[in-house]
Amino acid sequence: MRDYVLEIKGLVKDFPGVRAVNDVSFNIERNTVHCLVGENGAGKSTLIKILTGALERTDGTILLNGQEYVSNNPGEARKKGISTLFQELNVVDQLTVEENLTLGMEDTTFGFLRKSTKIKKMVEVLKEIEPSIDPKQKVKRLSVAKKQIVEIAKAVASESNIIIMDEPTASISESEIKRLFKIIRELKRNNVTVIYISHRLDEIFEIGDYVTVMRDGKHIATKPVAEMEDRSELIRMMIGKSIVESYIPKEAEEEDILLEVRNLSNEKLKNIAFNIKKGEVVGFYGLVGAGKTELARAIFGADRYSGEVIFKGKQLGSTPAKAIEAGIALVPEERRTQGIFTILTIRSNIPVMNMKKISNGGFVDAAKEKQVAIEYIDKLKIVTSGPEKETAKLSGGNQQKLVFAKCLFADSDLLILDEPTRGIDVGAKSEIYSIVRQLAEGGKSIMFLSSELPEILNLCDRIFLLFDGEIKAELINGPDIDSRKIIHIVTGGE
Amino acid sequence: MIEKTRKEELKTGSLGEGRISNLTFINIVMIGVLVALFIVASLIVPNFFNINTVSNLIAQQAEIIIIGIGIAYLLISGYFDMSVGGIIAMAAVLCAYFSQENRGIEGLSSGLGMSYGVAAALTVLICSIIGLINAFLVVKMNIASVIATLATMALARGVALIVARGAQRNAGLPPEFKQIGQHTFFATINVAVLIMVILVIVALIIERKTVFGRRIFLIGANSEAARLSGIKVSREVSLLYIASSILAAITGIIMASKFNAGNAAFGTGYEFDALVVTVLGGTSIFGGFGSVTCVVVGAFILGILKTSVNMLGFQPDLQLVVSGVVIIIAILAQRYAINRRSG
Amino acid sequence: MGRIIGRFSMKTTIKNVYVFSVLILIFVIFTSMSTKFIGAPNIVNILRQSVPLFLIGGAVTLVMISGHIDLSVGGILGLCSVVYSLAVKSGMSYFAAALLTVLLGTLVGFINGYLVMKLNIVPLIATLATMTLSIGVGKLLTPRGVGLIKQLPRGMEGFMRTSVLFGLPLAFYIAVIVVAVLVIIQKKTVLGKYAAAIGGNRTAAELSGINVIKNVWLMYVIVGFCSALAGIARTSYLHLGDPGTGQGMEMDAMIVVVLGGTHFFGGEGSVWRTMIGVLVLMSLTAGMQVAGVPPYWQYSIRGAVLIFALLVDIAVKERIVD
Repeated sequence: MRDYVLEIKGLVKDFPGVRAVNDVSFNIERNTVHCLVGENGAGKSTLIKILTGALERTDGTILLNGQEYVSNNPGEARKKGISTLFQELNVVDQLTVEENLTLGMEDTTFGFLRKSTKIKKMVEVLKEIEPSIDPKQKVKRLSVAKKQIVEIAKAVASESNIIIMDEPTASISESEIKRLFKIIRELKRNNVTVIYISHRLDEIFEIGDYVTVMRDGKHIATKPVAEMEDRSELIRMMIGKSIVESYIPKEAEEEDILLEVRNLSNEKLKNIAFNIKKGEVVGFYGLVGAGKTELARAIFGADRYSGEVIFKGKQLGSTPAKAIEAGIALVPEERRTQGIFTILTIRSNIPVMNMKKISNGGFVDAAKEKQVAIEYIDKLKIVTSGPEKETAKLSGGNQQKLVFAKCLFADSDLLILDEPTRGIDVGAKSEIYSIVRQLAEGGKSIMFLSSELPEILNLCDRIFLLFDGEIKAELINGPDIDSRKIIHIVTGGE
Repeated sequence: MIEKTRKEELKTGSLGEGRISNLTFINIVMIGVLVALFIVASLIVPNFFNINTVSNLIAQQAEIIIIGIGIAYLLISGYFDMSVGGIIAMAAVLCAYFSQENRGIEGLSSGLGMSYGVAAALTVLICSIIGLINAFLVVKMNIASVIATLATMALARGVALIVARGAQRNAGLPPEFKQIGQHTFFATINVAVLIMVILVIVALIIERKTVFGRRIFLIGANSEAARLSGIKVSREVSLLYIASSILAAITGIIMASKFNAGNAAFGTGYEFDALVVTVLGGTSIFGGFGSVTCVVVGAFILGILKTSVNMLGFQPDLQLVVSGVVIIIAILAQRYAINRRSG
Repeated sequence: MGRIIGRFSMKTTIKNVYVFSVLILIFVIFTSMSTKFIGAPNIVNILRQSVPLFLIGGAVTLVMISGHIDLSVGGILGLCSVVYSLAVKSGMSYFAAALLTVLLGTLVGFINGYLVMKLNIVPLIATLATMTLSIGVGKLLTPRGVGLIKQLPRGMEGFMRTSVLFGLPLAFYIAVIVVAVLVIIQKKTVLGKYAAAIGGNRTAAELSGINVIKNVWLMYVIVGFCSALAGIARTSYLHLGDPGTGQGMEMDAMIVVVLGGTHFFGGEGSVWRTMIGVLVLMSLTAGMQVAGVPPYWQYSIRGAVLIFALLVDIAVKERIVD
């Protein structure tokens, strides 16, 4: 008989029109690292939200230490021993480390904060994990990784026996990841079960004891990681079908240089220099934090920089408006907060970057606008009941296609794509890949920034490797490209 | 040819499309409320359904609607303008001061003796400086717009108080001065109402038909996405603040004309009233959602309620209570309606 | 720069020094114009007139630290002025009348909290509505056509005018106690810490198990309580019940809170620095009188002071990272 800390039985969660979690049952063994994987929309986050009490389940039972478990909010979940590290860090910048550690769990007498042994104990826990953090300093001054450590310390010190980590490595560096893993192993020894969610499959093989795969709201399998053959088995379970993508080398080489960047530097970037030719797909690969987004934003004029950005032979102006006018469009990293206008309709989203094309003397031609909307919905196969649908109601993949529609309508010569497939499902991903290929064939140049190596290798003609704000290498893509060497470079190796 | 049929479907709306937008929906609902209210008032309130009452009702809304245009545009783009009440007073006093006969003495009875047209134009110009300051504080310095524009409201009213020495300027005004506010065409419909109607029509055209109008909504819906889509957010918002201050200046000139005086107390609380009617009409305080029609409808709803309260013989002070209660009910009811619609 | 000095951050130190410097500067300037400015009668007068703003500014600081605003303070003050006057006039004892008034103010604060936190109406609109409502009800309670409650019993003004100690009236000492409690709340209790946490990162506060609704609600109730006390003080001073006497109070409150270095988006701030802000504003007002500036200049000076305070806040925020 195994010792299960958490038993999930027949869990169901319905949203209007969708069954997000469909009869899911599996058990989590005590003091293990239990990984949860699945494509976006597989139901992982819904499951986690039910565990933390952010959502109410429709049906099913959860047993925590053999007892029926219900939680109405994250605070209650924590009191019952389940803490969560959310993707968006949940520390208060304005408070000190110590104040953050005790937030919500203060020892008080008639509402007065009391200096108690609890604080001391928490600080000790923190010191053990990361001695370099001063408990009296404001959290504002800590790096992302250290903020995360503060959260972990908070969870540990509050005597949680389960800690849920939702993509904890998404925005921290390689060495910080190593430290995090050390901490996780330490947690295991100290009687803590970790539920670990990540898109990076390597991490699962490194840290996981068990892995549970979810797909389309259903539970596919729960297996000890040791019994898993390799990543491809895992990927097969996640995707259901395997999609084969492979790089098709460019036949003719164009020699017209469209964009030339020299000496570009700012707070994050150091002496960036490269060029992009007409019809070329140029990849920028680097881990999160390598400076990809910063590079995209600098060239697009969204952030300040020093150095030269020469586009079509002329120095480019330094605002997005000027970049667009010159013929550059950006698909930003954050779709919902930077790409689309969620409360507006598809129709009004599409022409935004090129209003001139649907207007005369400052007046909008409504008929033309609608025609354009329909044309692009059709062209990019956006799934919608029509052009008047609010974009908030589209799925992630369709929202991303809408961002593409916006940029395509701008009719630019250079498209900067910053993590264009992040958080969208496999189907939409491959559609986006084929759009990129079509564009390049049509003579457009693409600057493709991504932290997923496979897609870089599938799409790009030339690849620049970024590490810590610098270009570390330039590679020509081809069958003999060495991905191990690439990983070595982008993780800081020489 | 499956694709072709899909395109056809999109065009004809046979995919279940064709429902009106939430904004149109709210507009229709609020117009319905307005009509219902008008009918009820006509039935219940003695002498309500009468040409004088109705024309008074219209004339009384002119000022609030004119400043409401600026407030609504700014709300749609995600900003507040609380300075308009102060600008009204400043414009009224300045316009009076500029056009007062120059008697060459210090005091409230002597002004600069400009011709009325020049005085009005200069007033508008000076008041637009307040809009410029608003734009600087909110757009450049990133100060919360409510607080920044409350500060300039005090500044503007302060100027009015200084120029009017804490009172009003009403001596030695030229005869043209009172034309806008007092010359009527029909019942109590005066030049001010005409100006209001023209401004509303222009504002509606800008809002519905122009690229500039589109940008207002885009900025309000997501200002970062707007910037990354090539919209010059700072410039557009600055323009809106300046436009709002100009509209407030026009309102001030109208009020001065109506009372044939420039009083430093004019427009007190108007920034709140304009905000209330705009939100009452259905404009969202979170940006990206609203219309000038909301202002007009909201103003008349509140106007009918207040007139009815008065005509039914209640204390005029009850009006304040009514507007306080109505705004809360309106917000809750609109939210409920939209939520139900979205399912 | 930007280092931690002991337990205080550079930013806090700068903010403390700056508010004080402004206060001292004002005293230096006006004293050089007239030595009467630093005389006891003038100081007593400034402190006495500051009482309503001490109370309201202190409470509003808490609300603003939590990232919310309250525009209803002037309305509550006006309503409470009328109710207190009526109660006293009807023959109630001062204490009973005050109790009734404070209960009423607290109730309005409770309603604010309900509208903002339970019904999720943005604070600006919700408190604007209660402001309008309070003034409206206040006016309805006054005799028609008069709009004020006059002929109040003699002796009522003693609360603000009869010296208890050092020439200062009872109201002042009560305000000092209430403010002291507010300072303690902000610095030493969970409510104060939660205010900063909610204003700094509301989601984090919620996920830490903090009952955000209850806490902010409580802050609104405190504002209502303090506004009612301010109303009693103002009424006693004026010897008049006036529903409109709180007009502009929301703005004065904001001025002193921002002057005190509380960030207008919340997350950090200090009640006691707001008190220095009150003294800055009130001594400036008094100084203008000493300098013979006509009273109608007050309004533009308030606007200018607020703009100044906002720009300083921005400058400190951008230059000094703590």
